[in-house]
Amino acid sequence: MITRGPRQLLAEVQEPGLCIGCGSCVELCPYFRSHGGKTVMLHDCDLPEGRCHAWCPKTELDLEGLAQELWGAPYSAQGMGPHLAVVAAKAGPRLEAGNYQAGGTVSALACAALEQGLVQGAILTGGRGLDTAPTLATTAEEVMACSGSKFTAAPTLAALNRAQAQGRGPLAVVATPCQAAALAQRRTKPSPLRGMAGPAELVVGLFCNWSLSPQGLERFLAQRVELEQIRSMDIPPPPAGVLQVQTTDGSLEIPLDEIRDLIPPACAVCPDMTSEWADLSVGMYEGRPGWNTLVVRNEKARALTEAAVESGWLVVEEFPADNQEHLMQAAEGKRSRGLGAALAQGLLGGPGDDQPKAIRVSPELYQAVESGEVA
Amino acid sequence: MQGQRRTMMGNQAITQGALEAGVRVAAGYPGTPSSEIIQNLANAADEHGLYVEWSINEKVSLEVAAAASLAGLRSLCAMKQNGVNVASDFLLHLAGSGIRAGMVLVHCDDPGALSSVNEGESRHFARMLELPLLEPSDFQEAKDMTKWAFELSEEIGNLVMLRSVTRLSHASGGVVPGTIPAPQGKARFDHHGTLLDKGHGPVSSSPVAYKHRLQQEKLARAVELFEDSPFNSYVGPESPELLVITSSICNLYVKEALALLDASGRVGVLKLGTTWPLPPKLLQRHLERCDRVLVVEEVIPFLEENVKIAAAEMAGEIGAKRFFGKRDGTLPAQGELNPDLVLKALAGILDLPYQARPKQYDRLAQELAPQATQERDLAFCPGCPHRASFWSLKEALALDARDGFICGDIGCYSLAMRPTGYGMLKTLLAMGSGAGMASGFGQFGRFGMDQPVMAVSGDSTFYHAVIPALINAVHQKSPMSLVVLDNSGTAMTGFQPHPGTEANAMGHPVPPVGIEAICRSLGAEVTVCDPFDLEATQTAALALLADQSTAKVLILRQACALSPQRKGTKPYDVKVDPEKCLGDQCGCNRLCTRVFGCPGLAWEKQSGKARIDEVICAGCGVCASVCPQGAIIKSERA
Amino acid sequence: MATAKLIHDPYNLIITGVGGQGNVLASRMLGNVLTSQGLWVTIGETFGASQRGGSVMSHLRVSADGSWSPQIPEGKAHMVLALEPLEALRVLVKYGNPQAKAIVNSRPILPVAAISGKAEYPATEELEGMLAQLTAQRWSIPATEKAMELGASIFANIIMIGALAATGDLPVSREGFEAELLRALGPAKVPTNLEAYDLGAAMVGG
Repeated sequence: MITRGPRQLLAEVQEPGLCIGCGSCVELCPYFRSHGGKTVMLHDCDLPEGRCHAWCPKTELDLEGLAQELWGAPYSAQGMGPHLAVVAAKAGPRLEAGNYQAGGTVSALACAALEQGLVQGAILTGGRGLDTAPTLATTAEEVMACSGSKFTAAPTLAALNRAQAQGRGPLAVVATPCQAAALAQRRTKPSPLRGMAGPAELVVGLFCNWSLSPQGLERFLAQRVELEQIRSMDIPPPPAGVLQVQTTDGSLEIPLDEIRDLIPPACAVCPDMTSEWADLSVGMYEGRPGWNTLVVRNEKARALTEAAVESGWLVVEEFPADNQEHLMQAAEGKRSRGLGAALAQGLLGGPGDDQPKAIRVSPELYQAVESGEVA
Repeated sequence: MQGQRRTMMGNQAITQGALEAGVRVAAGYPGTPSSEIIQNLANAADEHGLYVEWSINEKVSLEVAAAASLAGLRSLCAMKQNGVNVASDFLLHLAGSGIRAGMVLVHCDDPGALSSVNEGESRHFARMLELPLLEPSDFQEAKDMTKWAFELSEEIGNLVMLRSVTRLSHASGGVVPGTIPAPQGKARFDHHGTLLDKGHGPVSSSPVAYKHRLQQEKLARAVELFEDSPFNSYVGPESPELLVITSSICNLYVKEALALLDASGRVGVLKLGTTWPLPPKLLQRHLERCDRVLVVEEVIPFLEENVKIAAAEMAGEIGAKRFFGKRDGTLPAQGELNPDLVLKALAGILDLPYQARPKQYDRLAQELAPQATQERDLAFCPGCPHRASFWSLKEALALDARDGFICGDIGCYSLAMRPTGYGMLKTLLAMGSGAGMASGFGQFGRFGMDQPVMAVSGDSTFYHAVIPALINAVHQKSPMSLVVLDNSGTAMTGFQPHPGTEANAMGHPVPPVGIEAICRSLGAEVTVCDPFDLEATQTAALALLADQSTAKVLILRQACALSPQRKGTKPYDVKVDPEKCLGDQCGCNRLCTRVFGCPGLAWEKQSGKARIDEVICAGCGVCASVCPQGAIIKSERA
Repeated sequence: MATAKLIHDPYNLIITGVGGQGNVLASRMLGNVLTSQGLWVTIGETFGASQRGGSVMSHLRVSADGSWSPQIPEGKAHMVLALEPLEALRVLVKYGNPQAKAIVNSRPILPVAAISGKAEYPATEELEGMLAQLTAQRWSIPATEKAMELGASIFANIIMIGALAATGDLPVSREGFEAELLRALGPAKVPTNLEAYDLGAAMVGG
């Protein structure tokens, strides 16, 4: 696994527009900060190696190496990452009806993890409307205050870095696939630095097809509504095909086709829809409003899910095999598109390749992508 | 009664000359190398019954001095070279109208730009505006010539320009002071005569044709006096091989070079103190001595060209000459001169060998030179508020992430174009031009420019030339941000008061005209911050950048570390906790020493930790806010 | 007044250091002491921007006979009084000669480039070695440390003047300097400054 320094991070990620603003490099040091949705370098740092580069999900993401180390298995073009079970889930009776999209499963899991003492806090993405605010929540009330989907990339991991620098105990992180990949790299490339090594104890991943550039969305919406009036946003399950914007004056529906240009280039080369590197992954349940799809990936996740159900935070039901098949196809589709795009853009690392690459895969998978077998 | 010889700075000698001439009023604007002249006169004001002011800018200072002359009071106005540009519009008209009591404009040039961002030539104003020009060549002459300039001014009825240079103004040498007369005469402006009555009528440069002819007659009278002036002198053999014509401090360089070459017997030196207009008869007498002429002067060939014109006009009498100087590359036309450059020119013309020191030593020195010439770049002082200000502005512009930039201005903070200010200034031109240019840049959003623009200005510069630019920006709705780096005085030139201070040049109480009040009265939003509070400053700067609707002002107020109120005080004891210091590890990488770069910090290579150099540290405590680990600890001093 | 006799005429002294070390004050006080001996002193110095952490130099020309150029020609310094060791080297490389002497305050002031790590400040022994090669006689004195013992680093320049006086190269007497201290700084500051002067003299004269 290759690690370089902040100058290379700028050259490999910032300059080509691959930075998604996940916050992984933010507040680890005095150099990287996030502001208005952008990750910026305040001052030059000339270290040859740094955590900023080591943990960035958009450069030298060694899928094969991570899979071998974390899963003990090769990274596969098939499926949606290792998992023990896929279930239908929604918030249980102990969670008040919140501003959550679909079933509230993420909030429910976070509350359960806090109650169980599995973690002492949860890093969530709060905020309203266009403003995303990475937040450390330590109570169910604080978790609920953050509920509701955000559709712009957020520097969530900056809040993790801040909490770890403050010496906080084990934490849960609700992460997008890119953030989950960043966290996976922390698990395999720990830092030797005092007090800054601890990986997130629990990663609750989110399904994600793409996100929107915060600046792009702000400019786009500014032409249509008063930005201060935006209360919340939602993308209802297909076939709606719209972004709903709730404002203090009412609501506005924007066809998704109109905002596709606002998807950052980084999303086009992302191979992960279901947050494969997380402990559990949560997404919407197409065709069943009010419910989520929950992918339980390991034993820790299974124990938490069971405890959450037992303690009334979560309700689960069986997830039909047909839907599972459909989900699998969707995940494979994004992977093949992402790897194919990475290859086309020269960002995919192949055998014996010593140039900087965004993603590295095994020689076999590289050849499969190159020959169009993964498509 | 003559005093005992003293060692005086050139500017002090000029001051002494003015006092001996009975100057009553002096005004100027601070600018290196001229500042001490007004400062010294201000210090002497109460003792000698003068009125002295630091005016808001050079043009106003010249107007104040001109008013004195018209009221029958001898007056002096002092400024640096580019100050004359600022004053030149008034100077043009004053030269046309003429003056009454003796009036002298002392303008100090800075060849080599030792303390300037230009090496502008103010001598040309004398030719352009048809005024007599005097150039002292040593310290005694600086005093004597200043005194005589007042007499000349009254004799011809027009202002006299007296030009010094950094190496005279800021050098010191022997001067025998004379006596200073007691103040006499009542001020009164006579204005009841006709427009043509130069002693009693209204004052104007019109009717132009009449006044212009009058002005040229005054100049002609000056030339007559120059023919016999003791400030022009010749030293050397009757018929030298080479005639050197020189003026100003270059005369001492020529003297030195001839001594080192032991060539005084072969070279004649005509030192001119009255350099415009040149006295033709005197010139002819000396040009007749030989056929080869070297003109030694600094920067542009002003004297050389005027000598050549005169030589062409008298070619029939003196014959053709071979000229050496700037035009043929014998001497450089940029940068200051020194004895070595003059020596090299003379050695070349005379074909004389010269070896300053043994070759072996020279070789050794050359070998060691790379070590010795290691850059010691100028830096903001320890404890300087500008370092903190530019740190926050840099971070704010980086966070804003639209490739915004800062238009700079003239003052200590001009150093922010260099590493000490993180290279933050992207334009650096004239006084007030940062705000003016930002007012322009701010308008180009309509052409697709999406970079936010800021301007910085010092407090003194704000009054001098920024106010009109800010009015322009407000009126034109230009979305620029003006950051006033208010360090409570004209720090660069030695803490001269300005309209925002509570005392004037003479130390008398005056009402301060506040920067906030001025900006608010223009309708500009104003925020005031202490730049030592990095977080608040960054927040304020970001807010300024976010608002692209109109012109805004941020005042960063903190006194200069060298100011009388701060100098020698040390508010905090600052130390580094080596346990906490991360040094060059990931997570810091020497942010304090490598990036922040205060001279009070040091890097201990052996231990890999930062350290405070307690001899240099001014105890401002800002680095404690910069350290990401809380490893720099400041504690208030008892 | 009888004019003191000089070992060289003009005697060329360069006082060098870093902006803020009190170069200008030292050169003026010394100039005044020598002037009071009936000598002509021409002092060339730069200040303004160069005060701000840059290298500063004062050129003193001491003569029985009128003003000289305020800039000493290259290779013609008789004595270098350096408030900072790297500045001593910088001056000697340009103005030194086999007969040149130097009194050097041993405490370095790091250039910003050295603090930031872009350049390296020469090691003490290396610097001392280079200075030794370029001088006929040299004194390295811990003026800043001694000044700190007196209460403030700024006394270093007075210590240096004391050291210069003790070399006997120039007619600077303790009485003459005391008179100048009184004139320039007022009676309250005379004792400590005179103590500094004596400390410097002791370090050279012994």
